[in-house]
Amino acid sequence: MLELIDISKRFKKVEAVKSLNMFIEQGEIIGLLGPNGAGKSTAISILSTLIEPTEGDVRFLKKSVVKKPSPLRKAIGVVPQEIALYQQLSAEENLLFFGRIYHLKGSELKQRVNEVLEQIGLTDKRKVIVESFSGGMKRRLNIGVAMLHKPQILIMDEPTVGIDPQSRSYILETVKNLNRENQMTVVYTSHYMEEVDYLCDRIYIMDQGNLIASGTNEEIKQILSSEDTISIQAERWSNEFIEHLKGHPSIRNVHVEEKEITLITPKEVNVFSEIISMTEKYGIDLRSLHVKSPTLEDVFLHLTGRALRD
Amino acid sequence: MKGILLARVREFIRNPFIFLLFTGMSILFAWVVSSMNVGGGEGLPVPVYVEEGAGAYQSSLEELEAFQFYTVDKETLEEELKEGKVDTGVILSEDHFNILIGVESPNAGLIQQTVEEVYTAAIQETFIREAAMDEGMAPESIVSSYHESVTEGTFDLSIHSFSGEEGWKYDGNVHRVGGFALFFSIYTIAYGVVKILTEKRMGVWDRMILSPVKKSEMYAGNLLYSFIEGYLQIVIIFLVFYFWRGLTFNDRIIDILIMLIPYALAIVAMSILITALVKNVEQFNAVISIIAVSLAMIGGAFWPLEIVSNPVLLFLAKLNPVKYGLDIVQGAAVYGYSFTDLLQPISILTLMTVLFTGIGIHLMERRHI
Repeated sequence: MLELIDISKRFKKVEAVKSLNMFIEQGEIIGLLGPNGAGKSTAISILSTLIEPTEGDVRFLKKSVVKKPSPLRKAIGVVPQEIALYQQLSAEENLLFFGRIYHLKGSELKQRVNEVLEQIGLTDKRKVIVESFSGGMKRRLNIGVAMLHKPQILIMDEPTVGIDPQSRSYILETVKNLNRENQMTVVYTSHYMEEVDYLCDRIYIMDQGNLIASGTNEEIKQILSSEDTISIQAERWSNEFIEHLKGHPSIRNVHVEEKEITLITPKEVNVFSEIISMTEKYGIDLRSLHVKSPTLEDVFLHLTGRALRD
Repeated sequence: MKGILLARVREFIRNPFIFLLFTGMSILFAWVVSSMNVGGGEGLPVPVYVEEGAGAYQSSLEELEAFQFYTVDKETLEEELKEGKVDTGVILSEDHFNILIGVESPNAGLIQQTVEEVYTAAIQETFIREAAMDEGMAPESIVSSYHESVTEGTFDLSIHSFSGEEGWKYDGNVHRVGGFALFFSIYTIAYGVVKILTEKRMGVWDRMILSPVKKSEMYAGNLLYSFIEGYLQIVIIFLVFYFWRGLTFNDRIIDILIMLIPYALAIVAMSILITALVKNVEQFNAVISIIAVSLAMIGGAFWPLEIVSNPVLLFLAKLNPVKYGLDIVQGAAVYGYSFTDLLQPISILTLMTVLFTGIGIHLMERRHI
């Protein structure tokens, strides 16, 4: 349905996206995962025809849309990372304005506005000025505007940044429902791996402009099938203990947080007894030690040596 | 485009603060400055008590423009000084004068100098008369020859207006209203145009790009709104002074307002050019403050350009839309020029509009700001 073929994008000396290949089939929810600055927003802008790639092609229904973007533009709704709304207008006025620019008129426009307000749960706030909305409500309206003209593909660029857990959960459910009930194709970018894990059928992981992994959730987690992710929990750590872990020949990607250390070891090597004796040697008050099922975060850590939100 | 206009109007209704602020400020400034000239004449009012035999000095003083000398009785003079209505008064006697100071102010020195000049001139005349009589010549003819040589001067002097065709005429009230209206409208228009930059940063512009709306409609909608807002402000200011302050504008107010349309358009165009050159709204705010004040100063919004002699400043004025806007206002209201006579400033403003809009939009599109 929609393809990015060998896409690169350079801004002066910075190469934001490097040789990116991606395909999206109808009815899928595709996740684009990566830390800040990974190139996700640039990829999304190219995908939505807002910027032209330096190299490569974007094809929609097998036709290039780089120079003639209108067929794709008609089919997509874009939810930008910013709150792209008129702050001085009410929720309803915003929807009416954006509906009109999509040439919706009269009763059809009113009906769509009502439907969208219902979908995003803002029917009772329709007359309220956007400026006075909470962050979550603004985000929901931001999504609503992109849905007005019933797009085939909804492209969402980090739609849950900076909002409370309740609003985030509402947005995730809305996206799930749109996909399930309306068979809407969704491209969803985030640096929250749990969102992508929950929503998406297939995932593309980007880092520093490169695509570093792609596939279904299970396929990506299989990257770690020959390795275990071990979690050590304690009240505090000593530098000697951490240095010892990092220097161990069978341990890699030691990631230290306040009360938890995660590390990766080959499945065939049992380092449990060694870790326990190390904690005794360095006086670490060990609370738990267990093997974790791999998460997308672990995969990212494995592939880049960095945590997703570093 | 209609939708964009409608949205901007709704936003304006919800938040008219900037518009009201700049409209109010320009009315206030023009009003206050012109109110300082009591009685509709020019110059600071100075009460004068004239003693017997000093009537000639009073007549000479009344002819001066720098101060507005008006005759009062001695009690009124003292009362006005006591109550602080005026800071300085004058008592004219036959052979001397007294300056009465109620409140210390720099005007006292200037008033003293002015009165002194009148007395000196009178004494000179007396001396000339006496000398003429001593020499057996007709004193009146000598005095009139003296006046002639003073009036005509040693050198030929000619004064030209902006059109260079006749002597310079000046109406301070018209100039002040025009100057402040044109100056403050720069801010109103510029803050309207810069919304394009804000909308681009917010992503609203991208949303519209992805919609079936044409880019030309997006620009037209936003620029047209900024023009309407700025032009409305100019109209309101002129009408306030026309109806409430009794300024007639030579009965040409409608003509002036129509001929100022190219001025408002040129400011819209200049604003789009500035918007295209800056990187963000903060930078725009800093730049527009400097540019608006500079344009007003160089363009003659605060003082008449006719008193400027520096060739560099006069050259810069020729590149300045404010100058041409004021040429239209002064031309119609003071000189009584017709539309055809004012075709030159109108054409230059139209040319500026086309040029700045073209370059501005081209730059904006190229820079992807």
